Amino acid sequence: MATYTKNFRFGEFVGSLIWLILWILIIIALVGLPLIFIVLFYVPLPPVNGQVLTPYLFLTMTVDPSRTLPIIKYMIHTDLFRITTFPGFTYAALIAAVTIFIERKFLAKMQLRVGPLYAGKIEGILQLIADGLKLIAKEIIVPSGADKPLFWAAPIAFVAAAAAVVALIPAAPTWVAANVDVGLLAVFAILGFFPLIALLFSWASNSKYPFIGGLRALHQMIAFEIPFILSALSVVILSGTLNLTGIVNSQITSYWFIFFAPISAFVFYISSLAELERIPFDLPEAESEIVAGWLTETSGMIYGLLQLGSYVKTYALAALFVILFLGGWAGPAVMPVELIPGYTGVQIYNHTTADAILWFTLKVFGVIMLMLLPRGISPRIRIDILLHTGWYKLIVLAFINIFVALALIYGGILGPGGLLVR
Amino acid sequence: MAGETAADFAPILYMLGFGLVASVPALILSRLVSPRRRYNPVKFLPMECGQMPTGEGRSHFMMQYYAYILMFVVFDVMSIFLYAWGTALFSIPKAATLPIIGFLGIMFAAMGYALFLAGRKGIW
Repeated sequence: MATYTKNFRFGEFVGSLIWLILWILIIIALVGLPLIFIVLFYVPLPPVNGQVLTPYLFLTMTVDPSRTLPIIKYMIHTDLFRITTFPGFTYAALIAAVTIFIERKFLAKMQLRVGPLYAGKIEGILQLIADGLKLIAKEIIVPSGADKPLFWAAPIAFVAAAAAVVALIPAAPTWVAANVDVGLLAVFAILGFFPLIALLFSWASNSKYPFIGGLRALHQMIAFEIPFILSALSVVILSGTLNLTGIVNSQITSYWFIFFAPISAFVFYISSLAELERIPFDLPEAESEIVAGWLTETSGMIYGLLQLGSYVKTYALAALFVILFLGGWAGPAVMPVELIPGYTGVQIYNHTTADAILWFTLKVFGVIMLMLLPRGISPRIRIDILLHTGWYKLIVLAFINIFVALALIYGGILGPGGLLVR
Repeated sequence: MAGETAADFAPILYMLGFGLVASVPALILSRLVSPRRRYNPVKFLPMECGQMPTGEGRSHFMMQYYAYILMFVVFDVMSIFLYAWGTALFSIPKAATLPIIGFLGIMFAAMGYALFLAGRKGIW
């Protein structure tokens, strides 16, 4: 119920706005510009057109479009851009946002509903922005007796850990933030943090339902961590490397590994659903049994951050599936060789990279749709059946495919000099 | 294969830091714009479906499926150990696979026996 203040006068309102703009300008002039210069002074700037850039030249060049392109090209190839924008955080967050919207519409269509409809003219496309504004404007309630530092730190740690997984995911050739030799093991190492964060948060909430949910998250990890790790082992045997870019390259020189390791792909898919706490493995946040599981005491932006983290994690695991089994960015060339025909200036556009990004994104969305599908068609499974599935069935299935992979290698079909290696 | 240094892992840490940088302002902004009404102490009680909460929030809770947790400690290490073998498969002689098969046989026998015992005695 919105109300005006008692003595509302339009002139005073406009006056206050002018004062606000004045203060913002003063702050920009006195603090913002010196800060920009200090940052530019310490950032190593590239030599452009034969002259080394100084902060002053940099600011003048941003006005001239023909001199701006080299700077943009230089900036795109820095680590900062990789971490903040393209294979890094912004790309993952964008895909996470699209995933949330697709999930809501897709589930609604499966259940003969219409889904979000009112925010935005077309099919409720602005629903996510509305939800974000709502979450920011809501009060954060910390329950009495909660461990306050942990309660505030856990959502931040969740987002940060999800971002750290994304850092290892290559989205196109040479486009990866951290190209390490043990990429796959590093992904597993960081994914091991999530159940611990869930348990810490549930312990910090000082409430019964979160505590039960946190313990269930731990059990889920115990049941599905080993099949998860073993299902990727057959891919490592087939490609002979742990580097994610190397795994994709070995699929480009032969065929996609899903043809040689379909059982592993199935086990990996099932256990990544469990890692993501998605239906049918959403026992840690089973809303019909234990209120909302370990998310019971969350409110406002804390809930928003946890959701953001979990969808970024969804992107990371879908991308990992694509890299391990679906050939990463491999695909036919469809993008035009030249974006602007006849242009002979500084080239930013590269058609092989554009193809790679296109195919990678399409495949990731395909896998994400596959991960959203069980939510519409499957009920939640019981916790003893969960442990039974993990320990008795999935581990055995993963091992069957490991022996198939060994047979392929020693039979001379794959591996160095194999029959199917181009 | 080229060796790697600890600096190769630095982007992971930067990314972790960027996650912090991106999420902390969201909390601060939310704290600035959201209302804070503290006059109703019932609001801050732990959630118990509308009832007054009884007992401790952090109580003793039975960690079920204890046998699986013990097995997890062993077999998680085993599965990571297999990666060292899987990566080096192209560069080791074929005869070196036999000891690994033997090792897997031993581990699988142990796992099968543990699962059998857990099932028969009804250990949680």
